[in-house]
Amino acid sequence: MVRKFCLALAVAASALAISASAWADITILVPSGSEGDGLRAAAADYAKLKGTKVEIVQAPYANVFEKAANAGQTKSGAFDIVLMDDPWIPFFAENGHLENLDAYFAKMGVPGPDNDFLGKSLAVCRNPYNTGPFVCIPYVGNAQLFFYDGAKFAEAGVSGAPATWDDVYKAAKAITDAGGGRFYGYVFRGGQGNNVVADFMPLLWSYGANLFNADRTKVTLDTKEAKDAMTMFMTLKGISPKGVESFGPEDVGRAMTSGIAASSINWPNWVATFEDPSQSQVVGKISYAPMPAGTHAGSSEIGHWTMGIMSAAKNKQEAFDFMAWATSPEQIKISATRGNPPVRFSVFTDSELTSQPQFRHYPTLMQAINFSTPRPRHPKWPEIENALGIELSKAVAGTESPDQALANAQTAIEKIAGISQ
Amino acid sequence: MRERMADPILTVPTGSGTAFERWRERHLRILMLAPTLLLLAGLTLFPTVYMLTAAVQNVSPDPDVPREFVGLGNFARMLTDPELHVAVRNTVVFTVVAVTLEFLLGLGLALLFDKYIRRLNFLKTILLVPMMIPPIAVALTWKLIYQPQFGVLNELMFRLGLPSQAWAGDVNLAMATIIAADVWEWTPFIFLLMLAGLASLPSEPYEAAQVDGASAWRQFWDLTVPFLKPVIAIALLLRIMDALRLFDLVFILTVGGPAGATETLSLYIFKVAFTFVDIGYAAAISLVVLFATVGFSTWFIKRMRLAD
Repeated sequence: MVRKFCLALAVAASALAISASAWADITILVPSGSEGDGLRAAAADYAKLKGTKVEIVQAPYANVFEKAANAGQTKSGAFDIVLMDDPWIPFFAENGHLENLDAYFAKMGVPGPDNDFLGKSLAVCRNPYNTGPFVCIPYVGNAQLFFYDGAKFAEAGVSGAPATWDDVYKAAKAITDAGGGRFYGYVFRGGQGNNVVADFMPLLWSYGANLFNADRTKVTLDTKEAKDAMTMFMTLKGISPKGVESFGPEDVGRAMTSGIAASSINWPNWVATFEDPSQSQVVGKISYAPMPAGTHAGSSEIGHWTMGIMSAAKNKQEAFDFMAWATSPEQIKISATRGNPPVRFSVFTDSELTSQPQFRHYPTLMQAINFSTPRPRHPKWPEIENALGIELSKAVAGTESPDQALANAQTAIEKIAGISQ
Repeated sequence: MRERMADPILTVPTGSGTAFERWRERHLRILMLAPTLLLLAGLTLFPTVYMLTAAVQNVSPDPDVPREFVGLGNFARMLTDPELHVAVRNTVVFTVVAVTLEFLLGLGLALLFDKYIRRLNFLKTILLVPMMIPPIAVALTWKLIYQPQFGVLNELMFRLGLPSQAWAGDVNLAMATIIAADVWEWTPFIFLLMLAGLASLPSEPYEAAQVDGASAWRQFWDLTVPFLKPVIAIALLLRIMDALRLFDLVFILTVGGPAGATETLSLYIFKVAFTFVDIGYAAAISLVVLFATVGFSTWFIKRMRLAD
């Protein structure tokens, strides 16, 4: 009798464990960090409000892509919604992993997301970029900003926001020279892969270069503009702290919060850390500016977090209803108070928020988004980024000349993209 | 003649109960093993078959695109993939250097403890701690140690009047930093096996050798090493197989950089499979690595005459 009872209990427990996720009305895959935490909190609010069971699966950045790609490739239906970094969108959309949202908007009686969303925020959610159907809704309005210590820059001869990379170099060099090997004017993410690429792209764009031409039929790293960008990138490397060759976002953030470095390119979710006295020695000292210009206008890399419905999702309409609710003006404002930059004009200009010190960068961030550039919209972007990241890492580490690194990256990207010379 | 005792499990009733009960009793062993066997088959057989089939196919990330048979195409790609060649070279360098250092240090420590500090068990426990820490925690700890501006290592260099280093950021030092962390983590494993081996050695041959006036070195070389050979072989085999799979330290400390200096096979396979979503090619590389590891292990076992 006892044996039978134990057996029944074991079977029941196994069944419960296996079907735990199946109980959820909506399952959402989100990254670790503030973006995922924000959506987790929103999901809890939604569950209370609507009585819908929302399951959140949180994973490190790289694993979100891996899990979503696996779910898409196997049509497992494990996730209804994925919170995606915007450069992943072409891969997911062009491999049929994402639901076209046009029909869902039509069912709501609207042609698409409303005009309160920033134009650039909506553009990344269309595939092809800015012209195709909506495959996601923007949730977190990330775009790189230029972070700098205004007082140190002024002391070094550059008052106000540095307008050009030459201004940045002038001030940063003076700070590094006076720093005696302990303080530096500039710091960047030089680690191989996504890190070094993320900090190189804004320079590339500000010198009028890009990875591809407009119709993606030619790789354009062999241009004078690309070489000029690379020259400035390497010049800035020369005045950066020892070890940037392996730096990731935490290393750059720590160098800035400790006051060791005076400027860097960074993502806006670091603002909260910089302004938190328990984590930062530079509270109130850091200013936020749009990306400096090179020979052309400066442009930030856009890095929005967007919500898309998986094609194999089990509860697509419920998923869309949640997305529509979570991206409403009220919810985006709440999300902003949870540390996630908004994607709506009304929230960026909400005086209740902008009057508070922790949101003082909002006007600059909105400007940065409006003048941002997306990473090349290519379904093989992860492979392209890897190839470019290796060559940039070689240039930064000094194992290859900058020109050779660009030439090798050109060849590697042509091969990946299937472009014949 | 001794009478065979009836085995209660093996005994098959023949004349009583229903046909089902008789069948159940006859197949009880198989029935009880079946769930485990099915689970094992699901966990090992399915992935193996999947890998074998994927290795000769082009597997699109688009589920609606049918798989395309490419024969040995994925294997041929390996011959012209420079990133893979770098990963193979780095993995071999790492394995040879790290396992050699771990073996020498582990054996040395074991001899020291066996001979001189047998009673200090707390020291043995302390020495074993690195091996018990989760690998990710080990990697994060070393990341902090190597941090060029705030790390303990550069602080130590500063106090010693030596120039600070970029450590994991220096293309010439990056592999050494990974090896150092791995040696710290896994030397205790070799130490433990060697210590157990030394504890089981017979004392008579050593007493005889001492009577014959053999030096300590001769005793070590002619007695300890041959006696320990099976333990040494097992320890080296396990460490080599583990070192060939190195992933976590590299993933946390350097992500394969700088300039590809620490890119390893496991990291590259991970990137191909889960970042590029090129499952066919990743399966082909994995298969070659699997065969290479099995081949090496078989050769090594024969060479060390472990089968004897």
